[in-house]
Amino acid sequence: MAVLDLQHIRKSFGSFTAVDDVTFEVNKGEIVALLGPSGCGKTTTLRMIAGFERPDSGRIFIGGADMELRPPYERNVGLVFQDYALFPHMTVAENIAFGMKNRGTPKNEIAPRTLEVLQQVQLPGVENRRPHALSGGQQQRVALARALVTRPDIMLLDEPLSNLDAKLRLQLRREIRTILASFECTSIIVTHDQEEAMGLADRIVLMNRGRIEQIDTPARLYQSPKTLFAADFIGHANWIHGTLSKAAGDAGIVATPVGDVRVTMRQGSPEQGPVTLCIRPERLAITDGTVEPATRMQAIAESVDIVGADVRLWSRLKDGTLVQSLDKNIGRAMPQPGSEVMLGFGPDDCVVLPASDAA
Amino acid sequence: MTKRLADALFGSVYYLFLASFIGFSAIPVVVAIVLSFDARSFIGPFPPTAFSLQWYEKFLADDYYYQGLATSLLVSAIATVASTVLGALAALGLDRAGFRGRKVLQAILLSPLVVPNVVLGFGILMFASRLGIIDGMPRLIMGHVLITFPYVMRTTAASLVGIRSSYYEAALSLGARPWKALLQITLPLARTGIVAGAIFAFVTSFDDVGISLFLSDAFTFTLPVAILAQMRANLDLTIAALSVIFILATILIIVLLDRLAGLDAAVGRGVYGR
Repeated sequence: MAVLDLQHIRKSFGSFTAVDDVTFEVNKGEIVALLGPSGCGKTTTLRMIAGFERPDSGRIFIGGADMELRPPYERNVGLVFQDYALFPHMTVAENIAFGMKNRGTPKNEIAPRTLEVLQQVQLPGVENRRPHALSGGQQQRVALARALVTRPDIMLLDEPLSNLDAKLRLQLRREIRTILASFECTSIIVTHDQEEAMGLADRIVLMNRGRIEQIDTPARLYQSPKTLFAADFIGHANWIHGTLSKAAGDAGIVATPVGDVRVTMRQGSPEQGPVTLCIRPERLAITDGTVEPATRMQAIAESVDIVGADVRLWSRLKDGTLVQSLDKNIGRAMPQPGSEVMLGFGPDDCVVLPASDAA
Repeated sequence: MTKRLADALFGSVYYLFLASFIGFSAIPVVVAIVLSFDARSFIGPFPPTAFSLQWYEKFLADDYYYQGLATSLLVSAIATVASTVLGALAALGLDRAGFRGRKVLQAILLSPLVVPNVVLGFGILMFASRLGIIDGMPRLIMGHVLITFPYVMRTTAASLVGIRSSYYEAALSLGARPWKALLQITLPLARTGIVAGAIFAFVTSFDDVGISLFLSDAFTFTLPVAILAQMRANLDLTIAALSVIFILATILIIVLLDRLAGLDAAVGRGVYGR
């Protein structure tokens, strides 16, 4: 059953269309990420769900109830702000009790529930501290606790990890997932960070310029992006432009400046005409001659980046396109800059996308 | 070489100017303090020849000043409370308002700061008499609210700027109705601005002569008006003694204000995360 249902939501500010015909559902217990670059409308969408903005048209249902005329304080929505917005003049316990008091929790339940929720977010013993006496990660968890303790129908998290440093982010990502799962809480996470979206969400709503580009699971969004924007925004990609023609069965041939490429046709991908091939760097391998990939491309190695666990090789194809291939950093010798390399990939390693000037 | 000389010249002129300005503002205070201890019974040439506490005794024995002091304290206290409530609410309203003409309304509400007190005093006197208010006390309170209100509005508005809107929104999302969110979240966070405004309001009201002169009557007059009247009637050094008390009171309030503002600067970073 859908806890949240957005139907054809539209919102403009002056002449700027922030959100344009957005429709999606969130099911009970599901974590959905609203992902996109800044200005794509994800925050405006979140603010409309919370009730801080009113859509120009379209309808929002939470738990089956139309939210049209409901102000924020009459919606049962838990919100975690990007800056946490913990009330600085109140203790942690007072912060957590604030929502319960306003939502009419019986007085004798407030203190035990405050302690209980602090246990659940693994922060016991901080109830009498002020928010500014806590670290960023701790403040984040208090903000989560404050929103969760009122048992909202849906949790909204606005860029929950953007104020933390990289290592803490990874750790807190796992913790947030565990906490949200333990409350069986339906959640929406707004983020511009694709890693955060992939790591936290069951499904991703990818937005661009106020519109939804694609709604899919993280794995499918990465493996089968439906648009150039989706392929470009999630992870890295190499682009090769060409013209597709159909061959036998589900095979196709794309004529490109660097030679013909054999591809596998998938459902929903174009049948023929101008296309763009998207090849993920980890799928574009240096061939050593022992295996014979379906497509081979000659290139000149330009530079090698060691990025921790991975090695990224930049090389230039014959037509001047710069491509990257990603390999595990396991001590294999990498080509010298200036030397010739042979790159290869199979028909299933590339995604065929309709050519457009979007990416 | 000439450039360096010019720099040095500029530097000395600057310090000379600074020193003479400090002297200019400090000398009257020093003269008043010294003269208040003068043992002579008349106003003689400056350095007094002997010292005594006679003017302080005379001041403490005079009912006229007491009456003025009582009125001043009452008027200032009521005006401060009223201005603080009204000024804080006005600042909140203007901060949240998105309507057109917000700037104009703000300018009108702040205008008592720039309109001469004499004009305001005369205006209120006329206005009050049209309303049939002929008693000194309500007139004085009206006038003092008018001149102190902009200070509270200003300082509250300044502290509201530093409060992120997410606090208010967080309160709403936690089920608080707007008035409750303002009362329990926004106002406590703006408290330093409001308190600073209240202190400014009290000092301004307590020191005011211009507007009080118009609005006092024979039985209700503020301390500064009493001083002025006494000075015209029989000029003696009780005024000097009174000035010293005034100076001490003002210093006390400034120290209080500084402690408050200093506290804000030290704690503010942590509290408001600016």
